Amino acid sequence: MPHRLTVVISQSRSQNPKKRQLEEQVVAGLLGERGIDVTVVPHLYDLKPDGSGMLCLSGISGDLVVCSWLYPRAARWILDRNQIRGQEGKTLLKSLGETDDDDEADEEAIDDLAEDKPRVADQRELPARRIYCLDLRAYDDASAFREEIVRIATELATPTIELNGWINGNPKPEQMERYLAAETAAPEPRQATVIEEEGGRRWYPVIDLSRCTNCLECIDFCLFGVYGIDARETILVEQPDNCRQGCPACSRVCPENAIIFPQHKTPTIAGSADVAGTLKIDLSQLFGAPDPGAPGAEKAMEVAARERDEQLLLAGRDAVGMQVGMPKRHESELSGSVAKDQLDELIDSLDELDF
Amino acid sequence: MSESCLTFMMGEYRAEFPTDRRYARNHMWALSLEGGSTRFGFTAYAVRLLQDVYFLDWEVAEGDLLAEKQEIGQIESQKAEASLYSPQAGTLDRINQVLLKDPSAINVDKYGEGWLFEMSGDASALLSAEMYLEHLEAVWEVTQRTIKGQMNR
Repeated sequence: MPHRLTVVISQSRSQNPKKRQLEEQVVAGLLGERGIDVTVVPHLYDLKPDGSGMLCLSGISGDLVVCSWLYPRAARWILDRNQIRGQEGKTLLKSLGETDDDDEADEEAIDDLAEDKPRVADQRELPARRIYCLDLRAYDDASAFREEIVRIATELATPTIELNGWINGNPKPEQMERYLAAETAAPEPRQATVIEEEGGRRWYPVIDLSRCTNCLECIDFCLFGVYGIDARETILVEQPDNCRQGCPACSRVCPENAIIFPQHKTPTIAGSADVAGTLKIDLSQLFGAPDPGAPGAEKAMEVAARERDEQLLLAGRDAVGMQVGMPKRHESELSGSVAKDQLDELIDSLDELDF
Repeated sequence: MSESCLTFMMGEYRAEFPTDRRYARNHMWALSLEGGSTRFGFTAYAVRLLQDVYFLDWEVAEGDLLAEKQEIGQIESQKAEASLYSPQAGTLDRINQVLLKDPSAINVDKYGEGWLFEMSGDASALLSAEMYLEHLEAVWEVTQRTIKGQMNR
């Protein structure tokens, strides 16, 4: 059985004709390529756990290349949450916003992460198959993706060829002929498998378990019951659809930056490894966004508390400000800039007494 | 459009603003509807800067109570992406569902079928077309600098 590689193209949510065209060109470039099957699914993040898209992806047991309009980290952990797991395949392609200069910064970031804290992912065993996640936003030219996928297919198929040489030394011409005939006998599929799935746009957190330390700050902070713990007392996005559309507040309180909201406009929240800007102009200030450089601009924890309050009010509940579920490490930040409550005043007045 | 318009020159481009409606400072027009609700849409100024709109997403739902300047959604266009903010405080009555599947009406008919949402609430802070034009005079320089600054990054 020759090696087979499945390439999944996860479609964009947007009607952007350039994006549709790139998807089609990547598919077209791979059809008929030896050993490669192509499957097209709707946007990975929107796929429901029991929907036809995820069922199809779950049925693929071999090596996988997933091309999506997402940061590779986001794609990888969305798949992981749906039990689609494997060893992380190393791609030579960049993701959105990555440049050559970023390599050093990335290494530093990885060094920072490599502190000896245990991570949730440390304890898990993954199947031997490889999963490569490519970011369709990073290149305008479909051939970049085609070349990389062909390179990956070759890389993965290499052991088979070596094995062939090892059995027989130099194959006799008739053996070689039989081998090649077997390879060409099965015609390559001339079209992609296209999976359609009805359903709206979703919004929920995705946890990067290679960063998560299971500190459970997110459970304390979220007041909408999104998070839970599994039988091994490990953090779990238990009720993803309880999450409030557009609210990324829990990712701001996560001490390890392990919570990804793949559709958030801020790259670090959306799963980027760095903080590079987006390629398009950001017109948010035109439509009323506060100036981030203005004096009195909010700190991350204040933003998180405000975003949570907005969602509480929208849900018809009372705002709680920074009184509930804020991480302990931010207490100093908290007392500095937020309206003080009676307890703070009491402590302040104690401080003023000279013992 | 048969009714009268004021125009503002954005470089070579003539941005037109019908005088039958009022305007919010965040570049949305506002048309009072029977029953007290106000319909909002992007002005020619906003659409010119965005150009072809590819994707529109709301983070709020019909019936939600919105604060002024609350973040309510995201937009992606040929040239830009942006968060969107509520032009006033009030209740979101209706969202133009057609735009979620195909947002092209924002470009084709920005003052008509390309409307974004309807909301009720205190509309007293909205500007007349004349006042909105004065606002544009004041912000046009800054807007140009913002765009150029980002493009040269």
